[in-house]
Amino acid sequence: MSTGNALRAPSLPVAARSGPGYWLGSLSEMMRFDLGQARQWAAMTVVIQILMGAGMALMYGFFYPRITPAIALYISTGTPALALIPLGFVMVPGTVGQRKLEGTFDFIWSMPVPRSVQATSTFLLYTLLSLPGTVLALVVATWRYGIDLHISPQIVPGVGLCALMAVSVGFGMALAIGNPLVTNLIANALIFVVLLFSPIVFPPTNLPAWLFAVDRILPFYSMAEVIRAGLTTGLVTDLGRSYLVLLAWTAAGWIMTAWVVGRRR
Amino acid sequence: MTELTWARVTPRAGLPYWLHSYRILVRWHLAGLRLWLTLLASIQILAGAGFVLGIALFFRHIPAIAALFVATGVPVINLVMVGLILGPQLVADQKLQQSYDFIRALPALQTAAACAWYTVCLLAGIPAVVISLVIAEARYGISFAVSPAILPAVLLTAFTGTMIGYALGHAVPNPMATRLTTQLLIFAIFGYTPILFPARQLPGWLATVDWWLPFGHMAVIVRAGLTDGLVTGVATSYAIVAVWGAIGIAVSAWALGRRG
Repeated sequence: MSTGNALRAPSLPVAARSGPGYWLGSLSEMMRFDLGQARQWAAMTVVIQILMGAGMALMYGFFYPRITPAIALYISTGTPALALIPLGFVMVPGTVGQRKLEGTFDFIWSMPVPRSVQATSTFLLYTLLSLPGTVLALVVATWRYGIDLHISPQIVPGVGLCALMAVSVGFGMALAIGNPLVTNLIANALIFVVLLFSPIVFPPTNLPAWLFAVDRILPFYSMAEVIRAGLTTGLVTDLGRSYLVLLAWTAAGWIMTAWVVGRRR
Repeated sequence: MTELTWARVTPRAGLPYWLHSYRILVRWHLAGLRLWLTLLASIQILAGAGFVLGIALFFRHIPAIAALFVATGVPVINLVMVGLILGPQLVADQKLQQSYDFIRALPALQTAAACAWYTVCLLAGIPAVVISLVIAEARYGISFAVSPAILPAVLLTAFTGTMIGYALGHAVPNPMATRLTTQLLIFAIFGYTPILFPARQLPGWLATVDWWLPFGHMAVIVRAGLTDGLVTGVATSYAIVAVWGAIGIAVSAWALGRRG
């Protein structure tokens, strides 16, 4: 009589679908997938960022009858924030809106990787993609205004956190708000408010106290401050608070994302 | 024997028919856009007020001349916003939604249709103009020297803006291209044309480019109707704005006259 040996199933190499190893492996797969998709529009993103960032930096200069060195310094060091804000708060929600319309999310969510990996991959990808345009916009602005910057290593975590925050909040907002039209309206209103009423390219002393209080809670002024601290010396005070504000907004973006992504439908 | 009954056929020409078309189309636009126009009028008022107030934040103490230029420039933006920016986008949307051919097939005269659209754009812009001016007066203590010249200036500015937008919407075949162009136009109008600030604050080459474009000249003629002795060369500016209006009409006529 034969024993059970012949009936033994061939052992398949089944890897556990959990644990840090699996998560990191999935992340690298997902990043490759997202990068492949991004090839179509990545160059366009850089171009739009240069146009928006550098374009607005030049534009602000036209409003001043005489550009003093102080004004030029503020405008130049505000440029990286100007380049990051449209990417995070307009382009990311725009992409999400398009994916919602196309139903792409359902496809991506059906892939055998944790959803937290999918979100992380998106955040990392956009954060990386936002950097070249930001740097180039700064180069254009410093060239236009003839500014010498004192670049310190602080700029690396500063810009990184700003980019991550902008992408996270933009993504979370676009996911959490059902109607893409509403998201679009909020994004456009935000840009308008930010460009006029946030002290990014001018000192906060120009603002009335109540408006400055509002700007210290919103992320835009903090973005400008954190980046400015890496480009100048002695201009920025209260840097710790700005970092905290940015971290809080990043967390808020992640919570919004987690809430939507974690729901079952 | 059957009796032929004659339908009463009104001729599709002549002034009464034109006026009839015009009236119907104004009502058509107002009804079709009622939601949009209300929303847009509110946004226009907020944006106008926002710009008038926000510009002061760029300065520690805003120079009087800068305040005056912004206060007299924002009305120009209010006037052209619907015709130049929203108009082409609406036509682009119609092309995307395939309702464009239907609207083209309506038995209305093209000139009546254009005039009706101009009327709607003008109506949508005027409230924001008035409110921007009132806010500027209150915030910066500017007293405008309003002269009768404001009337032709407002009418011509809105007309040229609307006609350029009309040409853009109808002549550019690709809706995405239309959309992109209008977005670039918004950007240019706010920051790269001497509407909100004097032309001497621009680099020389950009000021030269702007001299050939209508936008800075729109600001000159509107400013001439609101202030005393601030602007010169008003006749030239009228001529350039009018020429651009004529170009807009010509391109629109060419685009709408094509078959197919």
